[in-house]
Amino acid sequence: MTITEALRITQRAPRDARPLAVTLACGFTPLHVQTFLAAHLQKALPDRKVTIALGLYGSLAATLESLPDAAPPDALAIALEWPDLDPRLDYRSAGSWGLAAASDIVSSARVMLDRIAAALARIPSGPRVALSLPTLALPPLFHTPGWQASEPELALQSAVFQFAADVARGGRIAVINPQRLAEASSAAARHDLKSDLYIGLPFTTEHADKLASQLALALVPPSPKKGIISDLDDTLWDGIVGEVGPDAVTWDLTSHSHQHGLYQKLLGSLADAGTLIGIASKNDPAVVAKAFERKDLLLRPQQVFPIEVHWNAKSGSVARILETWNIAADSVIFVDDSPMELAEVAAAHPGIECVLFPKNDHKAFLAMLWHLRDRCGKERVSKDDALRLESIRQGAAFREQASAGAAPETFLQQIGASVTFDFSAAGEPRVLELVNKTNQFNLNGRRYAQADWQKLVSDESAVLAAVRYEDKFGPLGTIAAVAGQLNGAKTLAIEAWVMSCRAFARRIEHQTLKMLFDTTGVSAIEFRFTPTEKNGPLREFFATFLGEEPQSEFRLTRQQFEAKCPPLYHEVREMRRAEAHG
Amino acid sequence: MDETRQRLTNCFQTVFPDLPEAEIATASTSTISAWDSVAAITLMNVMEDEFGFEMDLDDLADLDSFDKIYSYLQKRLQVA
Repeated sequence: MTITEALRITQRAPRDARPLAVTLACGFTPLHVQTFLAAHLQKALPDRKVTIALGLYGSLAATLESLPDAAPPDALAIALEWPDLDPRLDYRSAGSWGLAAASDIVSSARVMLDRIAAALARIPSGPRVALSLPTLALPPLFHTPGWQASEPELALQSAVFQFAADVARGGRIAVINPQRLAEASSAAARHDLKSDLYIGLPFTTEHADKLASQLALALVPPSPKKGIISDLDDTLWDGIVGEVGPDAVTWDLTSHSHQHGLYQKLLGSLADAGTLIGIASKNDPAVVAKAFERKDLLLRPQQVFPIEVHWNAKSGSVARILETWNIAADSVIFVDDSPMELAEVAAAHPGIECVLFPKNDHKAFLAMLWHLRDRCGKERVSKDDALRLESIRQGAAFREQASAGAAPETFLQQIGASVTFDFSAAGEPRVLELVNKTNQFNLNGRRYAQADWQKLVSDESAVLAAVRYEDKFGPLGTIAAVAGQLNGAKTLAIEAWVMSCRAFARRIEHQTLKMLFDTTGVSAIEFRFTPTEKNGPLREFFATFLGEEPQSEFRLTRQQFEAKCPPLYHEVREMRRAEAHG
Repeated sequence: MDETRQRLTNCFQTVFPDLPEAEIATASTSTISAWDSVAAITLMNVMEDEFGFEMDLDDLADLDSFDKIYSYLQKRLQVA
């Protein structure tokens, strides 16, 4: 991105849009970083108006300490550089460079890192925070020749990384990955000494752009993909299993096919973090089943569901996997070594991301591994992530029994379902994650910045419940959230209501409405509803009470609800603050 | 309006979007309050993008009006 492009992007921001107030904290002249950060954020959030406020020149710690508690920004970007830790590390400083200075710099840097860490700990929980570690080289003030790292230099690096590990703990602060930044912006092309000395801007324009783009990604990360559907032959393993047999396909160093093993390991690690892994393969099911019995598979068979193996078109397999997962094609990546298969699936499932497995190109293969991690990686892994695949497996069993077994009412009566409403979950990251990634049962599709969400749920009149579900097939975890405000004693206005598609067909949404009427005592609930491309299931649900699908904000009375609510068989539990915190 | 003047006008519009086009030709640091040191550097970068050459920070202090920048550009473009 050039400065000109960046300025034009920010100037195209809609004037009346909801503002996104970002504070950029850095000790140097922020000029280009500010321009590029605004542009990258504006690109990521075209319906917002990004504004960047600046901190105090020359004192990053003071900027952080002076952030207002009462009205913090929506987001905070911190660009730490060596001079922030000790002025003698600044090329603009007249402080001496010498043996005595070197060890003193290490001591004072540690003190300053402690001060910054303390300031970060005081920031209220609303704003999203991104932190970049020093990106410029240390000046040549140490006694060793440049090719040898001196003890003070290593001590400084160590102190910074320890600081970063401490502040990143808990996931509140996103630390920019120095390795990824180095790939985008080479170390030698980062510093502009003349600009540093003349105007206090130490970065080249290119480096300012690259750093700002990483900070923007950390502040507004894209939604991770929910699943990967993979081919088997020459993808999950090397060889055609139907030709060579289950024991002869390989993924090891000896066979020079270890890249397939690496691919299995990556899928396994993503599965552990809640990414769904499915298989679509044209093969003999019995042969594939034998291959999946092999003990040396690095992707555990229980991490994969469903497995679609037959000789029909892969687009059909993908359709069934998407149906089982109950997610849209644009949330999924399909990996295959055949361009023809990728094209067939892409044509049938617009929005799906198709990735070619580059079998004989190790450089491209490594890039693919990183791409999959980038697209599926998560900031934090919750208990619900670990539950996801198992609950889908159980969901398939649920649907099978529901359609083949007893009548629906009998079936629902017999599954031992329990619904837990947790009214103390305002600060739970899972709740906001659910609100921001759920599409089908979503009241209005509105996505919330952390600060906006905090404002909504911390209001005195706020009502918020996270909903957990369990039945004899197993727990689904936290699968729904509802948030709104009580307007006096008569009306409740619901601003956000989402439910995971994994939880459909269990009448959890009915139980949630009943809970809202019962706990608040209101006679009517107003819903801040907006139709979206994907919230058809929610519209259909409300049509059962209203007689037709809602088109805009609407009101539902207790009478309307009770007249059409089907029998509910759940055991209901409520968790209030004291109970939730033991 | 010659091409260089038009391209320079575009640069000014990018950096000073609120400045009426009619006032650009007479613009200087003394007539535009928004033309501070930060805007001067931004303008320099936008001109680098537009004209495809690097400018020297040493020249910045003298480039304090549209006319002076236009003359500077004409010389640079002739040399090129």
